[in-house]
Amino acid sequence: MAGPKTVLVIDDASLVRLYYRSTLEAAGFRVEEALNGLEALEKLPGLAADLLIVDVNMPQMDGFSFLRTLRQAERSIAAVPALVTSTESREADFAAARTAGANHYLVKPVSREALVTFARLLCGLPR
Amino acid sequence: MAEFPALTEEEFQRLCDFLYRRTGMVFTETKRYYVERRIVERMIATGAGSFQSYFARLRTDVQQEIELFINAFTVNETYFYREDHQLKCLTTDLLAERVRANKAHKGIRIWCAPCSTGEEPFSVAIWLLENWPLVDQYEIEILGSDIDTEALQACRQGIFGKRALMRLSPALIEKYFESLGNDRWRILDELRGSVEFSRVNIVEPAETRPNGRFDVIFCRNVLIYFDDASRRVAAENLFENLLPGGFICLGHTESMSRISPLFDVRRFADAIVYQRPLGESA
Repeated sequence: MAGPKTVLVIDDASLVRLYYRSTLEAAGFRVEEALNGLEALEKLPGLAADLLIVDVNMPQMDGFSFLRTLRQAERSIAAVPALVTSTESREADFAAARTAGANHYLVKPVSREALVTFARLLCGLPR
Repeated sequence: MAEFPALTEEEFQRLCDFLYRRTGMVFTETKRYYVERRIVERMIATGAGSFQSYFARLRTDVQQEIELFINAFTVNETYFYREDHQLKCLTTDLLAERVRANKAHKGIRIWCAPCSTGEEPFSVAIWLLENWPLVDQYEIEILGSDIDTEALQACRQGIFGKRALMRLSPALIEKYFESLGNDRWRILDELRGSVEFSRVNIVEPAETRPNGRFDVIFCRNVLIYFDDASRRVAAENLFENLLPGGFICLGHTESMSRISPLFDVRRFADAIVYQRPLGESA
């Protein structure tokens, strides 16, 4: 039987990381955390992540810069699906996320149910 | 414990005056036992042979004795989810109003002053995670402040005993703490990282002002130790630390109406809360 799917939560707000982590762990995921895009790029090669949850506004390296860098990496990590979560909700923000390499976009606040639903979907798990 | 002669009336008064000037806390003859016990502890700790030599040491602040003396007098009696009806009020009414009043702003600032050993600010963080659906939408800043530097060290460590956790369900303890064995638990790193701590004396405007303005202040069970004059000073200081429309929650035995006319009284379903009137210039 396959082990739990691994999610890397990338968000600079510690309460938000904890909110996502506790929600996903309760749904059977294994969760790792990074405070920004740079830390995520450092952690990813050793993780075998199945999904990234990416905030947009973060210090040092924001979510879009992180995704652009990730998608150009010549390693297996380049293709990990990414769910962007952000308070920005204009069409231009969705388009920018798609261009940067996001697979899906949820506008904050994200409910526990929505988070689990989309994490399962993007990890290829049955609903 | 070594025996020390009881303080004379004059010595007792000098000591209480000193404490009052430094902290706003009032002790009278009815608290003589409480005061003497702490003085004896400090005299033993410092090796002072008499009240006179201890008081000289205190007044000249030898080896930060003033800080250690104040630490000995603070009451750090608290636990998680204490007076949780106010936490309920926070998420059902107060934050909803703050969000409506401040649509453009994506931040919420909450101040627990005093914060004692950390149970209260961490309770706020846990309560928000559990009960506020906008928890990931707003940049939440929680500050805990206290005059007691030893209590602040405990806050930063985030280790708690069974009594502090008695009001939390096993599920919440499992979710937000790691067990260290021997009935001790450490709060998760993300929670420790979500609260800032600082030393603040709430009767000193020079210490309260730099913290900026907050949406909600919890100032519970400290004003009861003050006299009327110190209470008013503290209330006026905290008023300055509130955003227009911001709220202050006091302990259940305390009433702002008896202290200062600056605040509006707001009666919500779960708590009575005091508000800095809206419409003032920020």
